[in-house]
Amino acid sequence: MSAPLESDVLVVGGGMAGAMAALAARGRGARVALVARAPGATALSSGAVSVAPDLTGLPGAPLASRRPILEAAAHLAAARPDHPYAVVGVAALGEALAFAARELAAVLAPPLERRRFHATAFGTAVGAAMCQRATAAGDLLAVGGLLAVAGLREHVGFDAALVAAGLARYAARGGPPVRAVEVALPAVVEPAARALDLARALEAPGAAEALGEALRAALPAGAAAALLPPVLGLDAAARVPERIAAAAGLPVAETLSDVPSVPGLRLQRAIAARLAEAGIEVVRGDVAGAPAPGAPLEAGGRVLRAATWILATGRFVGGGVARRGVLVEPALGLAVQAAEGREAGVHLSGRPAAALTVRDRRAPQPLLSAGLRVDATLRPLDERGRPVHPRLFAAGAVIGGHEQATDGTGLGVAILTGYLAGLGAAGEGAP
Amino acid sequence: MTPSLRALGYLGWRAIVAHPLKKLFHRRGTGLERFSEAYVSEGLVPTTPEDRAIGEAASACIACGLCEAGCDLARAEPAVRALGLHAAFRLYSRSAAELPLAREALEACAGCEGCDALCPTGVPISRIVRHLRARAAAPAGPRARGPLSYLP
Repeated sequence: MSAPLESDVLVVGGGMAGAMAALAARGRGARVALVARAPGATALSSGAVSVAPDLTGLPGAPLASRRPILEAAAHLAAARPDHPYAVVGVAALGEALAFAARELAAVLAPPLERRRFHATAFGTAVGAAMCQRATAAGDLLAVGGLLAVAGLREHVGFDAALVAAGLARYAARGGPPVRAVEVALPAVVEPAARALDLARALEAPGAAEALGEALRAALPAGAAAALLPPVLGLDAAARVPERIAAAAGLPVAETLSDVPSVPGLRLQRAIAARLAEAGIEVVRGDVAGAPAPGAPLEAGGRVLRAATWILATGRFVGGGVARRGVLVEPALGLAVQAAEGREAGVHLSGRPAAALTVRDRRAPQPLLSAGLRVDATLRPLDERGRPVHPRLFAAGAVIGGHEQATDGTGLGVAILTGYLAGLGAAGEGAP
Repeated sequence: MTPSLRALGYLGWRAIVAHPLKKLFHRRGTGLERFSEAYVSEGLVPTTPEDRAIGEAASACIACGLCEAGCDLARAEPAVRALGLHAAFRLYSRSAAELPLAREALEACAGCEGCDALCPTGVPISRIVRHLRARAAAPAGPRARGPLSYLP
């Protein structure tokens, strides 16, 4: 076993929240180590960075929503007292989003004042505070003319006619006119059954350019932008959308993705690249049954020691909260809280998971918002509401009170709490 | 005596006297032997404790597809590659009769173990694939003839 890895801050979890925490602490001069077991929910991201849905918007007219992101987040915090936005406050949200856009500039597009609206691979429109560079040109409010939805003949996972028919519903409500076209994959692009393989094939020199040429030949007259399936490269540095756009002569974007998600894998790769570039030591390994901050921790065959820990282990996908008859937090064995409002309490997590669902499909589901309870400085609380340890912080989906997969605040919470936990950890832990 | 009463009487005789007597004096080997006699011809084999452990481990799969990014199935033919390893065991690991459908995908696995570290829920993918491959390849009598071999 090699020598112990000493750092000021130890981050557990390599998704968006862990990365933001590590980068924020590193930015304040702290020595940071990060332990990650496997890719989690961040690698399943659709390509949009949802921060705060507009609760007052009409479900049938998403493009009509004009409420600014920060105002929507404040509104959400006021409506849901257990939401992380309410617990830590949204005052720093704008700063945190700008920080994320700066740190991950390789993959994320610069944020606008308003939200952008992106097409999904099923022809619906989704508003988001930030998006990936590969998605930005598909903003339905910014397309100044006909939007061509281009399907690839050899790629059956994407139905351009379906997407175009879906988007045509928004044409009368602020969306662009839409037309579906079909493009044959040029011979230089290796035919691939999986979106993943197609994304890799398009990164090859000449492949994106050839697809751009084929796209240009298939475009209808007057097309202002083209929308492609979410396969535009696994590595943001390969600049696949930009190369296709240059060859096709118009802005090119991909739709949002279902899982398995090429945009999600691209985001995870960009995060790993940025962590390495920032000088953060990344260790692959599991930390189940860890002691408390300050004590040596064994992970991935190494011993790590740090006075401050940040837990960013995610929810059910990442393994930060697990169902083992009852809900548990496997890394440190912290108390899990399920349910919200007056009903809330750690005692509920002792119930079988099936007892934490409610019949009304649209009602908040206690099971889906289960997680740690934290104080305003993001320190996890025990059963009696006291901080577990003065130098233990939590960030991202492991914090309860929000349904990170469905309530439209998933990556927003990860960015805000990750950023604040990183700053808090560096505040006293830095030399 | 009406026909229905005669039928009920016959059924009663079978249930109360004839069948228990037959069970008492006409034993046909162990449970496993009788199971094999009844079901192996349909492509079903008994589930061993090992099979069950593998099935439980596989049930943690959430079908996210993250393992595909590290999978060398790239060398398989496109139809098999599109199915993917995780789909192969998720769909076919539960039934011995259907397992041969996944054989091509399982055999295309290069055994690189690149998938294990990518699973968010910690499914031991390469161990499951090794086990299923051995099971699919085992010449277990009629099972080797294919899943629907019992049909005329």
